[in-house]
Amino acid sequence: MSALMQRRLTPHDLNELVAGAPRDVVQISDAHRASLASRFRAVPVRDHRRLDAWMVEQAGRPPGPFAWSPATARRILGNRALHRALATSDTLLSAVRDEVAEQLLRAVKGYARPGSLGHWLAGVPHPVLGLITAEAVNWATQGLDIAEGLEATCHVASSDLYYDVAGARTTLRGRRDLVADTGDGPVLLRIRSGQPGKSAGPGLRSDLVVATLAHREGLAPRRYLGLWPDAGIVLGVDATMENVRAGARDFVRAAVAQRRHVLARAA
Amino acid sequence: MDPAPELLSDVLRGDRTRRPRRDTHVAAGLRALLEDQVFATFGAERRELPLVISSATVRTAGNFSELRDATPSRARGVLVSTAFRLLITQVHVGDPYDDALDAWRGERPHDDLLDAVGHLDAEQRARLRADVASHFHTLARSLGPIPSSWRPRTSQRARLLLGGASVCLNDVVDLVVGSTNHEFANVALVDVTTSPLSAGAERVMRFHALVQTLRTSVAPLRTSVFSSATGELWTLDVDRELLLRAVDDVGEVLVRLKADS
Repeated sequence: MSALMQRRLTPHDLNELVAGAPRDVVQISDAHRASLASRFRAVPVRDHRRLDAWMVEQAGRPPGPFAWSPATARRILGNRALHRALATSDTLLSAVRDEVAEQLLRAVKGYARPGSLGHWLAGVPHPVLGLITAEAVNWATQGLDIAEGLEATCHVASSDLYYDVAGARTTLRGRRDLVADTGDGPVLLRIRSGQPGKSAGPGLRSDLVVATLAHREGLAPRRYLGLWPDAGIVLGVDATMENVRAGARDFVRAAVAQRRHVLARAA
Repeated sequence: MDPAPELLSDVLRGDRTRRPRRDTHVAAGLRALLEDQVFATFGAERRELPLVISSATVRTAGNFSELRDATPSRARGVLVSTAFRLLITQVHVGDPYDDALDAWRGERPHDDLLDAVGHLDAEQRARLRADVASHFHTLARSLGPIPSSWRPRTSQRARLLLGGASVCLNDVVDLVVGSTNHEFANVALVDVTTSPLSAGAERVMRFHALVQTLRTSVAPLRTSVFSSATGELWTLDVDRELLLRAVDDVGEVLVRLKADS
């Protein structure tokens, strides 16, 4: 049985969760990777598929078409701004503005491809840019509050984690926002809006398995923590073999369910 | 000569030397009291969908008949709130109505209320435009400088479940400044309303303070409400008594909603 921990989102509880993470972490082998790949290959797909915790939480239901909005842009801009603010001691508002300006510059220089954040930002009126800035500042501020409350050294994750499953036309994506460096291995933190649903645990395990697969030597992070500041709740999963296996199974199930949805739609 | 009107930023700052130590203990007790209230009202019954309590329900003490605002009033609220977000983010606002409408469209293009605004006749739209401009100028005049170092965030959301997900406290605070990581309480909450202030506004102030305390487990320093209709500003320092009254407010709403259902 893989246990899901739940605590209040307070600096005290968060520090306990980080400091108390198990030191003996699981390591997956090439045999594990090959086994997972064979399971995904058994679920054929016409195009390339990308699976993430959200799809696991939605039981494989394909997401609607993606559209940029202040809400979808805030995480990228907010995290980059937080990274910048921690490095330069800029205010968060200045850091967000610099990030937006950088994206716009890329678009002006022709480096932003259609559909990218920079391309979208270049086409929105200035009041919408203002609202995007406001949302990104909110995101960065809650990230800063969390980072400041941590006793362990903490940095903003430079990107999400990706793992290409060999020969299965499948990419797994794991979200992470902050990384707490504990000396004995990292504890990964993911920030989410709203409140955790019933499938929040499987979602966290999915992120855990991607972090483990994406590690060069197959080492799992010590613990994966999901933070819901709107609800004031933290959920966590430990890097046990049970959790990693359960996470991998959830991904395969999501792939199967996704295929069923696709076939049903085609019929 | 009349004294200069008080600026919102000055009120939020207050006297720094008189700030109390942050209270990290009160939240657990409040949570327990609320759970007791939910149990006293609903017993062991588990609702399939949570009963949602928001600042609007608390303002009217659960009386839904008071919540039936007309489209222009609701649209005015959204537009002024959006323009306020732009103001706090230090964005140049040329025309409050046009800019807020653009931002709203960019945020939620498929909003029913936004569609309804699009179907207003010319006279109604002109009235709404004038209304939004007037509210915005009152806000801009009274706001004062909000430095970025105060970490202002706008439209801060909270969603807390009680009684095994039978009740949901849903809240959006227009402006939050300060951090919960300081040794002394320094978080201030501001609600902006386009209505004149009434007894319901005081309940809303308490509700914001309660939800913020439950969400962060730290009691805020003060809670304020500003009326962009009249320029009035009410501010209360948050203490245990205020938070206990907020719990009672929620309890009364629960009883009323239970009776209605």
